Amino acid sequence: MNVNARFLTNRIAQQCAYKRIVTFSTKPTEQSAAAAVPQQQQQQQHDAVAPPVRKPIVPAHYRFVYPEFLPDPKVEWRNSIREKLERLDMLNRRRQIELPEFYVGSILAVTSSDPHAAGKTSRFVGICIHRERCGLRARFILRNVIDHQGIEIVYELYDPTIQKVEVLRLEKRLDDSLFYLRDALPEFSTFDEHMEAETLEEGTPVPINELKVVLRPRPWLERWERQNLRGVANIDQYLKDKHRKSSEKVQKPWEKYDLMKQYRATIPEEEQKEIFAEVHTELHTLELQRKRNKRKRTFVKPKHLA
Amino acid sequence: MNQADVSKLMSQLRIAVRSNKRNLKNPDGPEGRLLKLRKTVTALVKHERIELFYNRADEARGYAELLISNAIRHGDRHKATMELADYWLLEKQLVHKLFKVLVPRYENYNVSYTRMFKAPRDYPGIYYRKSVLELRGNPYPVLTQDNSQNRNLLHNVLLDEARKEFRREKLASLANKLAAETEETPKPTVEKATEV
Amino acid sequence: MLRTVICDLARLRLSGSTASSAAVVVTQVREKGHLSRPRLRNPYWFIRPQRSQTDDLVTGENRSFIKEVIHDTYGVPALIKGVQTYEQRQLIKTPQASATEDAQPWTPNVRRCGLIARKIGQYPLWLKNGERVRTTLLQVVDNHVVKYIPPEEYRPAQQPDVKHLHRYGCLVVGAESTNPALLTKEYCGLFKDSGVMPTKNLARFIVSPQAALAPGTPLNVGHFRVGDFVDVRGKTVDHGFQGVVKRHGFKGMPASHGVTKTHRRPGNIGGGGEKGRVWPGTKMPGHMGNRWRIIKGLRIWRVNTKYNVMWVQGSSVPGSTNGLVYIYDTILPLRRPQLAPPFPTLYDNDAEEQLPEDIWHEQVHNFNEESITYKPE
Repeated sequence: MNVNARFLTNRIAQQCAYKRIVTFSTKPTEQSAAAAVPQQQQQQQHDAVAPPVRKPIVPAHYRFVYPEFLPDPKVEWRNSIREKLERLDMLNRRRQIELPEFYVGSILAVTSSDPHAAGKTSRFVGICIHRERCGLRARFILRNVIDHQGIEIVYELYDPTIQKVEVLRLEKRLDDSLFYLRDALPEFSTFDEHMEAETLEEGTPVPINELKVVLRPRPWLERWERQNLRGVANIDQYLKDKHRKSSEKVQKPWEKYDLMKQYRATIPEEEQKEIFAEVHTELHTLELQRKRNKRKRTFVKPKHLA
Repeated sequence: MNQADVSKLMSQLRIAVRSNKRNLKNPDGPEGRLLKLRKTVTALVKHERIELFYNRADEARGYAELLISNAIRHGDRHKATMELADYWLLEKQLVHKLFKVLVPRYENYNVSYTRMFKAPRDYPGIYYRKSVLELRGNPYPVLTQDNSQNRNLLHNVLLDEARKEFRREKLASLANKLAAETEETPKPTVEKATEV
Repeated sequence: MLRTVICDLARLRLSGSTASSAAVVVTQVREKGHLSRPRLRNPYWFIRPQRSQTDDLVTGENRSFIKEVIHDTYGVPALIKGVQTYEQRQLIKTPQASATEDAQPWTPNVRRCGLIARKIGQYPLWLKNGERVRTTLLQVVDNHVVKYIPPEEYRPAQQPDVKHLHRYGCLVVGAESTNPALLTKEYCGLFKDSGVMPTKNLARFIVSPQAALAPGTPLNVGHFRVGDFVDVRGKTVDHGFQGVVKRHGFKGMPASHGVTKTHRRPGNIGGGGEKGRVWPGTKMPGHMGNRWRIIKGLRIWRVNTKYNVMWVQGSSVPGSTNGLVYIYDTILPLRRPQLAPPFPTLYDNDAEEQLPEDIWHEQVHNFNEESITYKPE
């Protein structure tokens, strides 16, 4: 009896395959999946051993490489059809142009069409100080100092006027956004326009540049002392007691334990898997293509020099 | 429009989640709110079934679910998870209960780890909605209604009969169809036979 | 006003029955809350769609039987054009024969049917000259014509604001088929003669008699063409009672510099002397949002026929994401179509032959094309 009962409960547990709970109203694809479940169950009942469905294995680092494929976690703004159409458009654009992997802190060169420039194109080299927004709105900010003048340009990643995005140096910095470079000494955001691309060996993890930036004295654009920056060397030099006190007052040490806040700011793992499973094969082939092209390029170069 | 946070990876909750948090009136602000919820989560893990106001239960439920799912995902050798458990469980012997009792219990679950029921309000009293929050698989008697005798209710009896009739009619129509087909098909063969 | 009159009448009758010599006292009821408050519920003669949900303790077996009967009568659940609905085989998919026989040609003054859609989000598109346009995506959700009321029979309880209403008939269109077990019997009765499965949403469109459609006709996004202009009607997001800073964009007063007790207040609301009163229309605090608004003359930049989605210009379509909106041909005289649009609508069979999956406006950059470059002069 006992064994029987346990077997039964096991069977029941297998049958009631965990369906995702929808937290927003319209999600037709999921509803269809839910509708499809009973049929699958019936089939499984008919032929006891169903062939396991093979799914492409999505690498875990994809969410760092392609963060813009994850939708805005705000549930009121989500819609599965819109997200799908957006992803299709993004993939279509990626087929036309090579949008390489880069992070905040990497040095990029962006060539874009510009009706006002001589030759109708302009190239800008700079350090990526910020990445934001998702989907087709994804954008990043490049910063450089040219003729003693700090210059920042906001580029939209999927803007069709962009002709080429090159990563000159692939690396990360200690912080998630580098807005403090605006208040740092200019040499920390000065990069040579004719810089050559540095190649990184395949398979090596993206290096983290532990460079600490030297800030200018006040006034600053933001109260950097409140932001717990790791990439700033001399912030203590400019702080008075009142600054330390006020920064202590605005700290929120409990936020790292606020699980629901984190949950509402992220896309859950299961959903990420679904999203990346949809675009994975396409992105992977594009990646391979890019690698092949790169190899060709590196092959050609020595001939030119000779 | 804003990018999702990718530094953290969390498993999907199996409960319906509100789009925004409730503030749970508290003079100490967000920290005090979390303290309130910590007390609730501790009590839930300790007693496995508690009765409290609906809003507080609904807020605490998500935290309890995530705490358990994190414990299952990372185990007790993971420093960050241990810190989380240390923060959320005010009575420290419950940390052992979380990792030694609840994790094995819920490892193979396909449904949520907690359940919530609406509870009656006492009248006259504070006019807040009340609820019962419990961990699944607790040792107490179940709170759900016994539905085993529902088939004896009048509308179910009537529906049963209607179903049987529906099935009978369907079978009959199928049989008629088959019969009609079989009648139609042999005819040409018979004709052929006569020709031969 | 009405209430005072009714009160007075009632009092008259009372006095008439009891004491005939009682004098009539007119008391004025001062109400103007209705001026700034949106209507929160439908008029009482509207039929309530949703049945009140109680646990009816039906056994699982019987529940599946009820489902089976529904699927038997209306078709099994199916995902059609990205919308979860039912496979309604019994519907006349293309009443083309009848349509072509008595079809009348389109003329510029004819009023066509509209569509029911959901606002599913917004994202940018780029024009071929490199300009970025913000677009809103509207998904046409499983629309079926439910009923046509000819002009001579159409006597609406609430008069729509249409000139020469007596010349127009009314098309009732439903969107998003749903399980009839969740709806009231009276509401389901509206669909009885059409053969359409009861739908969650209904809308009426005032149309010319030439533009009438047979009940059961599915309406798709092909009803509008890329490049056409549309008006979109929706209910704006409800913000509740708001102050002037949020509601009308007033600047408020300074936060410091000796200012006390007035930071987000409106300040002066009127002059003195002869105009010593608050003028009608003065911007003041009050209820914000939750009103029907029409945004006119939006260009359709792109259409996806697979998911029934259209991209329209701008990000100011009223309502929240996933909210319901109604799409009409524009009434702006300079943006009305010059060439005949699909009339009375584009039928499914035509669509399969003609329309590709994705249709782009000629000015819009297709993401499948190469990057935009400018020619040197």
